[in-house]
Amino acid sequence: MVAPGEDFDMPAETFSLGEPVELNAIGRALKKLWQEGEGAMARASLINLAIYSEKLGSLERNTQIIAKITEDHACRALVIGANPKSTENKVEAWINAHCHVTRAGSKQICSEQISFSIEGPCVAFLPNTVFSHLDSDLPLYLWWQDDLPEKMDPQLWAWVDRLIFDSQTWKNFNEQMGRVETAQQEAKQRIVLCDLNWTRLDKVRYAIAQFFDHPASHHHFAQIESVRVDFAPGFKSSAILLVGWLAAQLNWKTNQQQMNGSCRFLDANNRKIDIELRERSGAPIGEVAIESSTRFCVRPAQCGDLLEISRSGEHESAIPQMMIVRERRCFFSSRNVGPHNSDTGIHCSMPSCQ
Amino acid sequence: MTGRRGSSLSRGSEAVHVRRRQCYQSDFADENGFKTLAERLDKIDKERGTRGNRLFYFAVGPDQFEPILKHIKTAGLNEAKEGSWARVIVEKPFGSDLASARELNRVIHNSFSEEQTYRIDHFLGKETAQNILVLRFANAIFAPLWNRRYMDHIQITAAETLGVEGRAGYYEGAGALRDMVQNHLLQLLCLVAMEAPTDLSADSIRDEKVKVVRSLRRFTADQVAENVVRAQYAEGAINGKPVPDYRKEEKVDPKSMTETFVALKLSIDNWRFWNVPVYMRVGKRLPKSATEISIHFKKAPMVLFNKETNEANVLVIRIQPDEGISLRIQAKMPGTSFRIEPVKMDFHYGTSFGKASPEAYERLLLDAMSGDATLFARRDEVEEAWAFIDKIEEAWAAKKNAPELYFYPSGSWGPDQADELLARDGRAWRRL
Repeated sequence: MVAPGEDFDMPAETFSLGEPVELNAIGRALKKLWQEGEGAMARASLINLAIYSEKLGSLERNTQIIAKITEDHACRALVIGANPKSTENKVEAWINAHCHVTRAGSKQICSEQISFSIEGPCVAFLPNTVFSHLDSDLPLYLWWQDDLPEKMDPQLWAWVDRLIFDSQTWKNFNEQMGRVETAQQEAKQRIVLCDLNWTRLDKVRYAIAQFFDHPASHHHFAQIESVRVDFAPGFKSSAILLVGWLAAQLNWKTNQQQMNGSCRFLDANNRKIDIELRERSGAPIGEVAIESSTRFCVRPAQCGDLLEISRSGEHESAIPQMMIVRERRCFFSSRNVGPHNSDTGIHCSMPSCQ
Repeated sequence: MTGRRGSSLSRGSEAVHVRRRQCYQSDFADENGFKTLAERLDKIDKERGTRGNRLFYFAVGPDQFEPILKHIKTAGLNEAKEGSWARVIVEKPFGSDLASARELNRVIHNSFSEEQTYRIDHFLGKETAQNILVLRFANAIFAPLWNRRYMDHIQITAAETLGVEGRAGYYEGAGALRDMVQNHLLQLLCLVAMEAPTDLSADSIRDEKVKVVRSLRRFTADQVAENVVRAQYAEGAINGKPVPDYRKEEKVDPKSMTETFVALKLSIDNWRFWNVPVYMRVGKRLPKSATEISIHFKKAPMVLFNKETNEANVLVIRIQPDEGISLRIQAKMPGTSFRIEPVKMDFHYGTSFGKASPEAYERLLLDAMSGDATLFARRDEVEEAWAFIDKIEEAWAAKKNAPELYFYPSGSWGPDQADELLARDGRAWRRL
């Protein structure tokens, strides 16, 4: 399983949550913070990024993530660590600033972070906590690092511009996807969905797509007979998303329900395409093999942040090539994301092969 | 006045001020008490060589005005001696409807003339409220944009996290509309929508302000239901802590119909703002305490970046707590592609000038002493505002078909109906 943030290059040092503050004094404390730093520091913010997690130690972990994100993307971060199982209500808050020297000069550009530890039944008041501390006029990105709860305040969804989640960590995929759909219905504006499980497939998708970039390769689309995807334990949903992407791009329709890790699609000419999903230890997505009259293969290289790609056929022997698909970084994009769109919201590198 | 940082009083002068401060207590109904007060003030004038200036400050219930003013008059305290002045500052509420406001004005004018009367609205003492005039009339770039051609709509929000907080006795009879809209919010609207005055004299400015209130389209009963949403807070949370619903607050009627939230869509029927709606909302137990005005400009033609930007420019005037101005513009994100993101150009009073703004009351009290009534409401402004508000109150008080009172959880931004008020025009409340 990939824990939130494991896709990021994390510095080894620990991060402080900053200065503890009373909940009703956060605004004043932030004002004081910036007044004291006026001249040397410039506050910057393009988005509100709220991160919610119920995992122990998530506040520190997510503070590290925010420190990394704010190097490239100034934001107001609201980091929320919740423990709804506690019987007693307890709310604590901290403020912090992440400052980075700009490339252009010596002035530090700083993003502010407000951290909350919320315990007990008052976790249900989460929307109020978020609403109260948003930087006005800026979009709200909500990164939900746990399973989505059954009931959520519709007003929260109405305010979220981008919902970030990781379907790979979900315990019940269908149930959770249903909740995502509910969130979209309850939102008064369109929520952009950003599934990290999907963005994690970027490299593999780019690698597969490049086989067919040249128009001379397009005839292979009509000849694909089978697809095999190897996935690591816990990453079956990633493999399903990958196959779903291929099916959506090539207008395949389901023909046979999944049985023993296999399923079948039909193309536009009712030709059958067999899909095999195999669980293998190793990288989240291991070897992907697409068989037509030619065999197209993508798999993680033995070392480095690379993919090994090859094609082979009756008159063509496989000559593996290494491919760097994208530089190793994470960033937020302004474009629409998700399996139904062509761009991704958070681009995160795959965990490197060992 | 206090000796806090940024005050005009130094520590030394504050000490002198405290030494010379005297307190005299009397009952409102005790005529002799006022006579004694007059004698004591005269004595102080003689002893200290002061000139006999008198400033009375009324922060009492409307029913107390008449006896106090009568006794002030009987004691001759309302009359200025040669070379001095006598003035009265009146705190809100300036009545509870048009009739009571007129009556209150009559009572005040029995003792003090309009020139001697200063109706205080502390919102007008805020630095940013005063800066609205400077922003509009000292910056040439905004004047051409300040009309129906470029403005899409205006929003004014006055939000507070506090509940009724022990003011139930007053609030139950007032509600958010009378408590906030009739005075503070309409005053702010006047500053935003007024024409340029001929000069900066109090009456020139107030002449223009009153025209705005007169231009507000009066609602019929049906239009109230359509354009005004009233609501009351239910239980919820503020700053992560549970809070009770309004009807369970101390001294509140368990069946109270008093609104703690109101949202309105107003129309200014004049040449400049025709078809530029003004959306106002005010409420208690909202997620944040903030008072802000936002001017939403029309969107750029969706020709070049039609898929990339659907955002409009927004000019925000923050009245409190973080006084300042910001302008939201679209900017290209650094990189090779045309990615467009909204960014804010921000001006903060607190940091830009390096000194704290005076407290609103500090400024207003000084103005009253100096005889500058610019930031005080004039009689006709107050009465016109009540004439507008009365139509809404009448519709709410109707025995048949009165518009519904909605409920919203404490800590939320009000009922869904307030969102729908804008949604049906294809708009949404600004995020604070």
